[in-house]
Amino acid sequence: MRLMLKLSTRAIQRRPLRTILSMLGIMIGVAGILALGITNEASIRAIEDIFKQSSGSTDLMIIPASGNTTLAENVLTKADRLASVEKVLPVVIAQTSLASRADGGTLDLSFFGMESGGLMLHGINPVLDLQVRDYKITQGRFLSSEEPGFEVVLVDDYAEEEELEVGQYTEILTPNGPEKLQVVGLIAKEGPGNTNNGIFGVISIDTAQQIFNRRGEIDQLDILLTENNKDQVEVTRLELQSRLGDEVSVTYPAGQGQRMQQMLSNYQIGLNFLSGIALFVGAFLIYNAFAMTVVERTREFGMLRTVGMTRKQIISQVIMEALTQGVIGSVLGAAAGILGARGLTGLMEPLLGADLSTNMTVPVNVLVLSMGVGIFVTLVSALIPSIQAGRVSPVAALRVRGKSQEGWMTRSGWKFGLGMLVISTVILIWNPFSFDPQFILGSLTVFLMFGGVTLIIPATIHIWEKITRPLTGLVYGKSGLIGSRNTGRAKVRTTLTLVALLIGVAMVLIVRIMTGAFANDLVEWIGAYLGGDIYVHSNVSLRADIADQLNGVSGVSAATPIHYQEVLIRTPNGDDETITFMAVDPPTYSRVTNFVFANSDLEENKFLTELNSGGSIFISSVMAEKYNLGRGDELLIKTRGGFKPFNISAVVVDFYNQGLVITGNRQDLRRYLRSNQVSTILIKAENDTEISELMTNIDRIYGKRYLLSLESNEVVREDIFTLLDQAFMMFDVMGVLAVIIASLGIINTLTMNIMERTQEIGMLRAIGMTRGQVIKMVLSEAGLMGVIGGLIGLVFGVLLSRIFLAGMTAMSGYKLDFLVPAGGVLMGLIIALGISQLAAFQPARKAAKTNVLEAIRYE
Amino acid sequence: MEQNMVVLSAENLHKVYQLGGYQVHALSGVDFNVEKGEFVAIMGPSGSGKSTLLHLLGGLDSVTRGEVLLAGQPFSELPDQEITLARRRNIGFVFQFFNLLPTLSAEENVLLPILIDGKNPQEYQSRVDTLMEMIGLGDRRAHKPDQLSGGEQQRVAIARALITNPTILLADEPTGNLDTKTGKIIMSLLRQSCDDLGQTIVVVTHDPRAAAYADRVVFLRDGKQEQSFILDTSSDLTDRMRRIMGIMESMEI
Repeated sequence: MRLMLKLSTRAIQRRPLRTILSMLGIMIGVAGILALGITNEASIRAIEDIFKQSSGSTDLMIIPASGNTTLAENVLTKADRLASVEKVLPVVIAQTSLASRADGGTLDLSFFGMESGGLMLHGINPVLDLQVRDYKITQGRFLSSEEPGFEVVLVDDYAEEEELEVGQYTEILTPNGPEKLQVVGLIAKEGPGNTNNGIFGVISIDTAQQIFNRRGEIDQLDILLTENNKDQVEVTRLELQSRLGDEVSVTYPAGQGQRMQQMLSNYQIGLNFLSGIALFVGAFLIYNAFAMTVVERTREFGMLRTVGMTRKQIISQVIMEALTQGVIGSVLGAAAGILGARGLTGLMEPLLGADLSTNMTVPVNVLVLSMGVGIFVTLVSALIPSIQAGRVSPVAALRVRGKSQEGWMTRSGWKFGLGMLVISTVILIWNPFSFDPQFILGSLTVFLMFGGVTLIIPATIHIWEKITRPLTGLVYGKSGLIGSRNTGRAKVRTTLTLVALLIGVAMVLIVRIMTGAFANDLVEWIGAYLGGDIYVHSNVSLRADIADQLNGVSGVSAATPIHYQEVLIRTPNGDDETITFMAVDPPTYSRVTNFVFANSDLEENKFLTELNSGGSIFISSVMAEKYNLGRGDELLIKTRGGFKPFNISAVVVDFYNQGLVITGNRQDLRRYLRSNQVSTILIKAENDTEISELMTNIDRIYGKRYLLSLESNEVVREDIFTLLDQAFMMFDVMGVLAVIIASLGIINTLTMNIMERTQEIGMLRAIGMTRGQVIKMVLSEAGLMGVIGGLIGLVFGVLLSRIFLAGMTAMSGYKLDFLVPAGGVLMGLIIALGISQLAAFQPARKAAKTNVLEAIRYE
Repeated sequence: MEQNMVVLSAENLHKVYQLGGYQVHALSGVDFNVEKGEFVAIMGPSGSGKSTLLHLLGGLDSVTRGEVLLAGQPFSELPDQEITLARRRNIGFVFQFFNLLPTLSAEENVLLPILIDGKNPQEYQSRVDTLMEMIGLGDRRAHKPDQLSGGEQQRVAIARALITNPTILLADEPTGNLDTKTGKIIMSLLRQSCDDLGQTIVVVTHDPRAAAYADRVVFLRDGKQEQSFILDTSSDLTDRMRRIMGIMESMEI
């Protein structure tokens, strides 16, 4: 044992570069899993915290049901009467801004949509709220419990930005104009202080109701249960719901977070898939490094065998080295993973619109798991080379350099491979992925395809060589023909290299196809969603008549109001689901922008007429796919008078709220949902009008009066696309990394091949092959790998994309066009061929420099 | 070419190797020449410099001092590219370990120098046929090296060395990896190519049985030529071998 440890340590020390290469593989695998795991958990916690923070230790939350905008005060009394309820905390939520911020606020973009910035105030009961939520006072005091008056407590970071101090007065904007409040205290940006990313303050509920004209209205009731009922939350929830009726919704505080998590789930599936890729890449690098070691040290192993070391001892020797490197590599990988998580969370923060750093912890179980996986993968990857080392015969090893041996898997594995490909082809033709929301069958098909291709490659290399022979001769000459035949010699090694290359090419193509599919629909949708030229919003509620007034501004061709409201629908399955109702004014909407109908139809005017007449809606293509609905069907929407059926006039492409959106007209909003609010106004400028001038003009006339914020739609569209680019960038990066790893694999494989053929290369040089011809010989060997890996990778990429897109339809209802971009195919091929040649350059040069005499020397 | 023309000559050949801090004088002023159609064997004990001499004659290594002339033209002074081309077209090599390409058939291995030279193999078909018949593998030309025995592989290597009708064929211990019977076959083949095709051959060997097939034997010791004598080709092989062994004994080799 001691001897083995000594030999292992010496071997590692003697080949520092090789050791670094194999440890790099382990590090990539471990770091990938850990970084993605930490980021995932931090993201989920951040989302939960977004809602938990303002909830504090509340057990339940009462909010208006769909169709209602506020709670009546008597709901509080009713809830308080329940024996299991300890406390009821009323909250009035007001979106406002400081009067000193004349622009009314900025548009915040994130994964979850666009939000106007600005100050969020919660009107609370100071006494009750302090008992439930953890406000950390950093300066001054909390709101007075006796006579709160016109006081406000702000978050300290925000106060510092706005140059506000305790004791100072500040003006906030209300429907009645600016209102003065005294800053009596500051709280830390943690817990409830994290609400609205710290742009937050609390005032007394009486003051809130007074200054925002909300007398008798409450937005939210937070419920604290008695100690005895803490474990009966669901029972109490149902009881409360039944008592309070359909006008309200009794829910869990983090319930809203679940919707956000659903939105993230698709993204997370992608991240988990990437973890698997990182692991494979790591395993591949480790295998390569150890295979190289065995080839280099064949004589050493032969010598050890001649002095009496058994096969088992040789195998144990190599495994011991792998274990040593595995442990060190896993520890380093864990450190790299933690650092990587920081970078990854940095990428995720703008997408989530949340600060993830406070939620970044390293769970011990994830850490142990990732390191355990790293060591396990190292041992498994080093297993084949160690067995090959054990098989080296003493005599052969002492005469010539190591030769790879073919096992039955290489000779007969193609039969299994063929079977796996047949099964996966049948599944692909059958195409059941739409009914597979868990993507179980999809994953199985991917695995079968992957395994089948891997097992078939060794048996088909010589076929590929024959087919490409004329081209090889044309490009590389006669020496190239000798080189391309060499591809079939070390089949296991070559196959693994080809697999790495085809994964890289497939990933590049998949990213191109998926982003292309999204981009096609998204570009069209965003163009319509942000139709017109100017996007108008505000921190305070907009009035419907503002659009009419804006219509009168010189240079404005049309202005249309839009409102987004949550509504409850009853799906055909009988389940209730909360979606978004987008209320438009069809006549003005059509003048500013257009709907993107799912099937281009000449009857568009008819659809718009139906929408305008009322009682009709458009549904998104996502909803149509998900619930199997179409024109002529009905959808039940919860209104003040109960569930009412609305006719579906058309299906439109709409990704707002991940596609869970319907479009109706404003009259229906008023009539059935009792709302006349406006979330945003879109403006279309007249031809030849300078947009920036028009914006200045509108701002001058109405900006201050209505606290309007104006954005050029072109700028907003660019920002959205930048956000999308960031989201897709991670996949692009992984694709590029996979290709780089594949190129490392080619370098390793060729280097090993050349090492094994040193004598042969010496002979070729001796009989007259020039150095240039030796280089061409090696390049052609790599070129054939590039052709095989590239072509199979492209086919793989196309098939996988089809599976993923179908799976996405099942999971989320997205139905995206499957298009194979010619540019993507060309890029994949160029990458495969280019990488193969670039990677082969150094080994080729080394082969050309072979010292003829040393090469043909014999013992 | 005329019968007695010198096809390969070396004058005052020196070769010094630097091994760490030591200099090893592998050759110390060797003169050597071989005439057209001649079969010369170079013998000597281990470390005598015989393989070094062969390597310098074949342009596989550079001379420290002295000169090698191939067909009267300076050879050792040429740049690497030109030496390589000269080797390809004018010199045939046979190695101890055959060194056939496992991915090519026997016939393709024979044609290897032609393929490397970019020539049309069709133009050499009749020569290939002649050589394949000569080496006795006419009906196994499609076989790969792993389907041939050691002796058969070495015969293919000899045919490969002869395909370009080289000025000279250099063989480095061609029977070193073969049993006695197979070794005889190989040496007979070389002899046959000399007698029937007029091939000029230089063989390095430590085996007096192999050297007995030559016309002349050159002995080296400690990097210098010690002796050179002509064998009586009319006497039988055993006698020639005995003569060589006798000389070796007298030289205490």
